Amino acid sequence: MSKLSRRGFLVGASASTGALVGASAGAMVGASLATDAASSAAQTAVLAKSEPYVGVHQNGIELELQTFTNFVALEIKNSTDKNAMLRWMSLIAGDIARLTQGDPVIADAQPQLALGPARLTVTVGFGPNLFSKLGLEGKRPASLKELPAFKVDGLKAEFSGGDVLLHVSADDPIVLSHAVRRLIADSTEFASVRWSQQGFSNAQGVTPNGVSQRNLMGQVDGTDNPALGSEDFANTVWIEDGPDWIRGGTLMVFRRIAMHLNTWDKLGRQAKEEVIGRKLDNGAPLGGHSERDVPDFNAVGPSGLKVIPEFAHIRRASPQAPGQRFFRRPFNYEVGVAADGTPDVGLLWTAYQRDIEKQYLPVQRRLDQFDLLSQWTTPVGSAVFAIPAGVAEGEIIGAKLFS
Amino acid sequence: MNNKIVKTLSAIAVMVAAVSGCSNAPAGLEITDGWVRVSEFSDHKGGMTGAFATITNNTDKDVTLVGGSSEIAGMTEIHEVLMLDGEMKMQAKEGGIVIPAGESVTLEPGGLHVMLMGLKTALLGGEEVTINLDFEGAKDMTVTWPAKTSLAGDEEYKPAE
Ligand code: HEM
Ligand SMILES: [Cu+2]
Repeated sequence: MSKLSRRGFLVGASASTGALVGASAGAMVGASLATDAASSAAQTAVLAKSEPYVGVHQNGIELELQTFTNFVALEIKNSTDKNAMLRWMSLIAGDIARLTQGDPVIADAQPQLALGPARLTVTVGFGPNLFSKLGLEGKRPASLKELPAFKVDGLKAEFSGGDVLLHVSADDPIVLSHAVRRLIADSTEFASVRWSQQGFSNAQGVTPNGVSQRNLMGQVDGTDNPALGSEDFANTVWIEDGPDWIRGGTLMVFRRIAMHLNTWDKLGRQAKEEVIGRKLDNGAPLGGHSERDVPDFNAVGPSGLKVIPEFAHIRRASPQAPGQRFFRRPFNYEVGVAADGTPDVGLLWTAYQRDIEKQYLPVQRRLDQFDLLSQWTTPVGSAVFAIPAGVAEGEIIGAKLFS
Repeated sequence: MNNKIVKTLSAIAVMVAAVSGCSNAPAGLEITDGWVRVSEFSDHKGGMTGAFATITNNTDKDVTLVGGSSEIAGMTEIHEVLMLDGEMKMQAKEGGIVIPAGESVTLEPGGLHVMLMGLKTALLGGEEVTINLDFEGAKDMTVTWPAKTSLAGDEEYKPAE
């Protein structure tokens, strides 16, 4: 409704503009108005972009980072059974259909805030406990289990776990806030909010598509990642077999990883580069020249030491056997600053894969054994979710799981 | 139970129809964005609630929503909300809701609504509710709308004297 009236308003405005041109009858004025219209469209181009809400896969994974994100984890109420899940997911599916297109939801208390699509995506996930609570153990993907404890962990309950994930991202913070509020309003009959964690990436217009962004340690992050739209991506991320509800879906590992920037900033550039194994200025592997150069893990320097040190993050994290890969889509977070100037910053780090046991865990175990980077980072939150397949028009997310 | 799932699934179809702006209305009446409110007043047998939508009259004659009925409610009325004695109260709308030719009227919490009273069971979010709407000047219509929570719309009911 508000959308209709907004359009009505715009039409009204341009109609009176037309009258103005006619009155002054100046080609110059007409030209400058056309330029105004073009530049006004350019100024709101970020708002106008939309992502589809139907498809083989859910949205919010295989796309360039949006600027703002909110991960919301919920815990179902005792009264929420499979039937209630279907009712809840039908409401959520209806909301997603509208919000992603920039429209208010049904019964929207703030339809004025549905400014436009702004590449809004909502990805729904189901945690391992949901399966036991609903008696669906038989349908749980085998590798969807709470992660084992790691030495490096400093996990906090308020950042960890959850039965249902609503991962919402958009290029505008007001659009995001409105969507999250509406989705939660339609959820509280069925579940309570366990945690919500907000993050961000670069603003639109800052980093060209396909260029890796920097994290708050200053590193180019995301270089060695399956390319969006590639066969490699599909083979790494999207599940092809197993229960029907998860085919076309994926498994997600979520880690909130704090960065200790006060101690990190004590290091000189060279030390920082050796900790990762890549150069800070352009993300090139040590011994290489540009970001996309393949790291040479065998190269030895004049001192007789490895050019990419044994302790370097990319050496420890790189696959040691086929299949030890996943898709990383990290957002930054920044919550505040302590009295001594220590910022509360880090990554809302995610990994997407077909199988957590085979793809993610071997890498995480290796990093847990030894990764110099972990002297300046601490995982403080952790959760895993199964992301069911995408939906067709009118289909309920997870319908095949709960029916 | 199975029946309920089927109901839920078809509720989605209705919602999607509303999204794409399809009309499920014959005779030039278009009803969109319909829904039924879930609240503490509707979470028990004998409770009550409101139903809301935008009704557009594409005909060249005024149309009046005069009443309705639903299997889920003992009684269905057309209501308005008024400021009475310094409080927002609702009551039956005398003469029904007129939708002038070529215009839209929005039924919304705190304003005009279809009142469902004497609910036969608790209303649950995500369920679908079928309502027959009785019009003067247009054919009666049957609509199916999703139930959802809304904070707005807690006006006290002032039964007609
Ligand atoms: C705050 C924590 C972390 C930071 C700052 C960080 C930073 C980086 C950087 C700068 C790179 C090099 C560029 C790139 O290829 O993306 C990288 C690569 C990588 N990281 Fe991390 N990382 C963190 C945590 C993790 C964790 C927890 C894992 C897995 C358990 C991980 C797995 C990887 C992998 C697989 C690569 C690619 C290695 C290769 O070249 O094959 N990272 N990371
Ligand atoms: Cu009423």
